[in-house]
Amino acid sequence: MSETTVAGLTTEEMIVNVGPQHPSTHGVLRFVVTLDGERVNECVSHIGYLHSSLEKIAETLRYEQYITNTDRFDYLNGLGNELCYVQAVEKLLGIEPPLRTRFIRTVMAELKRISSHLVYLGCYGNDIGAVTIFLHAFRERELLMDIFEAVTGGRLLYNYLRIGGLRNDLPTGFGDQVHRFLDHFPRRLTEMTDLLTENRIFIGRTRGVGMLTAEQALSYGVTGPSLRGCGVPYDLRKLRPYAAYDQVEFDIPTFPEGDCLSRHLVRMEEMRQSLRIVRQLLDKMPDGEIQAEVPRRLRPEAGEVYERVESPRGELGCYLVSDGSDKPYRMHWRGPSFYNLQVLPEMVRGGLVADFIATLGSLDPVAPDIDR
Amino acid sequence: MWGYVRDIWQGAKSIVVGHIVTFRNFWRPKITDRYPHSDAGKNWRPGPGYRGGFALLKSDEEDRELRCTACMSCARACPVGCIHIEGEGKGKERHPVSFYIDMGLCVYCHQCVEACPKDALTMTDEYEISGTSRAVLVRNLEELVAAGEGRTEVSRVV
Ligand code: SF4
Ligand code: SF4
Repeated sequence: MSETTVAGLTTEEMIVNVGPQHPSTHGVLRFVVTLDGERVNECVSHIGYLHSSLEKIAETLRYEQYITNTDRFDYLNGLGNELCYVQAVEKLLGIEPPLRTRFIRTVMAELKRISSHLVYLGCYGNDIGAVTIFLHAFRERELLMDIFEAVTGGRLLYNYLRIGGLRNDLPTGFGDQVHRFLDHFPRRLTEMTDLLTENRIFIGRTRGVGMLTAEQALSYGVTGPSLRGCGVPYDLRKLRPYAAYDQVEFDIPTFPEGDCLSRHLVRMEEMRQSLRIVRQLLDKMPDGEIQAEVPRRLRPEAGEVYERVESPRGELGCYLVSDGSDKPYRMHWRGPSFYNLQVLPEMVRGGLVADFIATLGSLDPVAPDIDR
Repeated sequence: MWGYVRDIWQGAKSIVVGHIVTFRNFWRPKITDRYPHSDAGKNWRPGPGYRGGFALLKSDEEDRELRCTACMSCARACPVGCIHIEGEGKGKERHPVSFYIDMGLCVYCHQCVEACPKDALTMTDEYEISGTSRAVLVRNLEELVAAGEGRTEVSRVV
């Protein structure tokens, strides 16, 4: 073991395991952190605890059977994952979903984004030591859960999107329910901002901590709020509008500092933008069919397709190879949490061990999304 | 010096604001429930479209026969293959003689219900499904028919 000398005293490096079961690892994740006193010298992540072969399983299931599995890796963004997968298969088959379907999908994906950021907000506060915010965030998330339950019948695992359409149309009273949420939520969001974002201790724990430069982020393939927190306005909803994002106006919040606080602020602002998107979509919601004409047996031509959407954590990609049969030949997911995690050692090296947790939480990783 | 004063001011403000928010929430109605100890918790039913335990439905006509014709569409649609059916008879006479659903494997995806051409299989609002062994989680024909008593509609979001 290497020895370093600090002002004449000899200290030994210490190796600490953070995880696999640790309240701040958001799932089952392990980090081997080499410490020199309070300073982090090196951090190595060990992943794979939640590997569930979701890519291999796809090869044994027909295209329409796989949708339910997409809810299960990034479980905070179930509807967004379904959207990515369904769009990939539609691209492969050359199907264009009806306009109403695209609107509904976008509304649900945006509500899911708010709900995911609320989980981030609650858990991040918890990581930093502000436990109260967790209860506030989860109380508001419950309203969203009720909306999802009314629409899809499920609270976490939806299986709502279908190839070329949706499982069912919106229930009666959906508009009112969402409008109630839209009217109620901004006030609560302000309250949460007062409670956490403007708190002196929170700012002290996050400002200038876990610095990430735009060059580093880009070279590691970091996407999502973590990249926008370095000042890079990269958002697939704007750059390559899918679903109904070309029908709405919204801004991409960016903050240039690249520390934990700016990543946090990006997410807080994104929730406001999502509210804006949902409001516009509800106002413009067209009537009509929700299911496109789809052949009974889905047998896409042999070929390959890569489809990507903006998940709350970054760019979520789905790569599908078809050999002309009714099952995918190969499937690969680009999980944003996996790529975002790679940059963690760069961010924590030389920092304090307490800041390690703050930095990890600010990347908002979801463990099954890393392992799949 | 000024930074020091500002720090104290901001710290004090954070504490006061935090207390105001907490005080406001103190008077808000509580949203949690002491399930399963409260009455509201016991009598709570999920909304329409909820995906819970399974039931086989009977026909609306006089004879009250099972609607199921053992066509295997549901078993084929299931992504985990947890439905096992054996049928008997030809044409109109065809009916299931055994029908097993392994709830321990089921992922509650609702795909089987949607695949059924006869609206014979449904998921219900039964949500306390956990059991003490794997065997009790396997539903057989009798249990499925019993669960369908008094039900006519397939679970669906309205
Ligand atoms: S709900 Fe899904 S997993 Fe369960 S029996 Fe039906 S098709 Fe199979
Ligand atoms: S429940 Fe429906 S799909 Fe399943 S075997 Fe019976 S009729 Fe066919």
